Amino acid sequence: MIARVRRVPVRWRRAALVAGVIAVLLLLLAPLTSTDAAQQAGLPLITDKLWFRIATTVAMFVVLASAWNIIGGLTGYASFGNVAFFGLGAYATGALVANLGWPFILALPAAPLIAASFALLVGLPLLRLRGHYFAVATLGVGVAVGEVVNNVRPLGASTGLFLPIVRSDLLFFYLMLAAAALAVLTTRVILRTRFGYGLLAIRENEEAASVIGVNTTLYKVGAFVIAAALTGLAGGIFAQWNSFINQENVFPVTANVEMILMAVLGGAGTLFGPVAGAVVLELIIQTLAGGGSASVYSQIGLGVLLAVCVIFIPRGVIDFFGGRSRLSLSYLRRTLRETSA
Amino acid sequence: MSLLAVRGLTKRFGGVNALSEVSFSVEAGDVLGIIGPNGAGKTTLLNCVSGIYRPDAGEIAWQDRTISGMAPFRIARLGIGRTFQIVRPFPSMTVRENTAMGALFGQPQGRLQPAAAVKEADEVLELVGLGEKRDFPVLRLTVPDRKRLEVARALAMKPKLLLLDEVMAGLNAVEVEQALGMVRNVRESGVTIVLIEHVMKVIVGICNRALVLNFGKPLLEGPPQEVLRDRRVIEAYLGERYAKQLDAGTGKGPSTDA
Repeated sequence: MIARVRRVPVRWRRAALVAGVIAVLLLLLAPLTSTDAAQQAGLPLITDKLWFRIATTVAMFVVLASAWNIIGGLTGYASFGNVAFFGLGAYATGALVANLGWPFILALPAAPLIAASFALLVGLPLLRLRGHYFAVATLGVGVAVGEVVNNVRPLGASTGLFLPIVRSDLLFFYLMLAAAALAVLTTRVILRTRFGYGLLAIRENEEAASVIGVNTTLYKVGAFVIAAALTGLAGGIFAQWNSFINQENVFPVTANVEMILMAVLGGAGTLFGPVAGAVVLELIIQTLAGGGSASVYSQIGLGVLLAVCVIFIPRGVIDFFGGRSRLSLSYLRRTLRETSA
Repeated sequence: MSLLAVRGLTKRFGGVNALSEVSFSVEAGDVLGIIGPNGAGKTTLLNCVSGIYRPDAGEIAWQDRTISGMAPFRIARLGIGRTFQIVRPFPSMTVRENTAMGALFGQPQGRLQPAAAVKEADEVLELVGLGEKRDFPVLRLTVPDRKRLEVARALAMKPKLLLLDEVMAGLNAVEVEQALGMVRNVRESGVTIVLIEHVMKVIVGICNRALVLNFGKPLLEGPPQEVLRDRRVIEAYLGERYAKQLDAGTGKGPSTDA
């Protein structure tokens, strides 16, 4: 392991670290300039409604991509049904707030709970499937759950649910940011424990994992449930933030594709890969979302980008950081050989 | 009390009896060789013992306790390690990390932390002769080294019984000699071994007993030298005609060379 690491000059690393910390701090503090107190003190307003909208969405996708990474990247089970957890979380919180009048903060914990319980229920049969079968089955579950919810009258059926509006861009930005931090932290803890190593073993060779003593069923379901809880939490926050939820906005299959793209482009199975993927990709999507032909081209562009990346940088962009690999012609040739084998 | 006792084990795939009524036992300290022509059911037998297949009939007992039908990970933690004929390493990990996984999950006596598992992995890697290559990514290993790694990962579990599925297959004469040395080291370290092998030199060189399977049925069991001279075994391997030639004194006996 040690032999493989290419030395990066220490002062470069230090500079990168300092720059990173400053950037994160600015990002964290910038929204505070929008408070009345800050405005009265004469601070420049660098965040408007649109800024909050974009930043909160980015943070949300950091949660979704990181959560997907736990089941898809670490465990090797490419779930196309994570959007069901998002939708269930949104509807759990949404129904408690809209129908029973619970305060949002009390209703929020229901989101991860419901999503995780559902993952436990469907995980046992679904995780017996592998590869494409698992992908297709989860896709089916995602779509089916959306359809069911769309027909349940207490959940507003096709009209959807309206939640009392909470006007605080700041609150939702920080909530989503906290959820993102939680997702990253959870991944980090998993990566350093027996549980994480077990997941990696399952990804690398499930049968070999089982004969060296990994309780594969427990571990797989565990990873699925954790991913579901995080995804559901994001859904719960989204419900109140958006104050309106229906099948279309909380069960979109496209969002599931997006979270996979982000995790894979950034680096599936790594800690920060999905984060980087989510930030970059979501910013691109938001920038190009102006509508008209631009958004059509952006969709096409994203598709092409994905295909190229999967073939040439299968370990994600994160592979170029930390001194392991360098983007070069020989790298591309090597990965092409790997992926075409 | 036998370490492992298999009684009347039967496994069917569709209409085919891959194993029918196989019985044998393994005592502590044994090195039992399982031989037989291709398709005789040798690997199926290992798959049943390690829990990958659920037997259709019969019983597998580990220290007098039934283990047939148990999940593979439970059987592993009881102290039964195994290797695969076609090696199954964790490809993105180094040799050391691969081995540490065995120590991390497979040990019967408890839960190791990752750091401790890596330390134990290093000891095992010395034993199988991969010490110097411990930081290699698996993909850089040669075939014989990959087979060693397969054994190392199983050994890191500190098993009482090790099931080896053709660890010598595909090795040249020199490599077989080296691998034989490794298996001897393992035996010396007090591990009971059941091994499947086509290389008769290995069977004769290290096993104290041999079990012959043919079409899923046990044909014969006994000391390796005797078993290999038995007419029925020669027939199973080389055909009836060859056995007749042998009777007539025109053929040569089965070679014990590789």
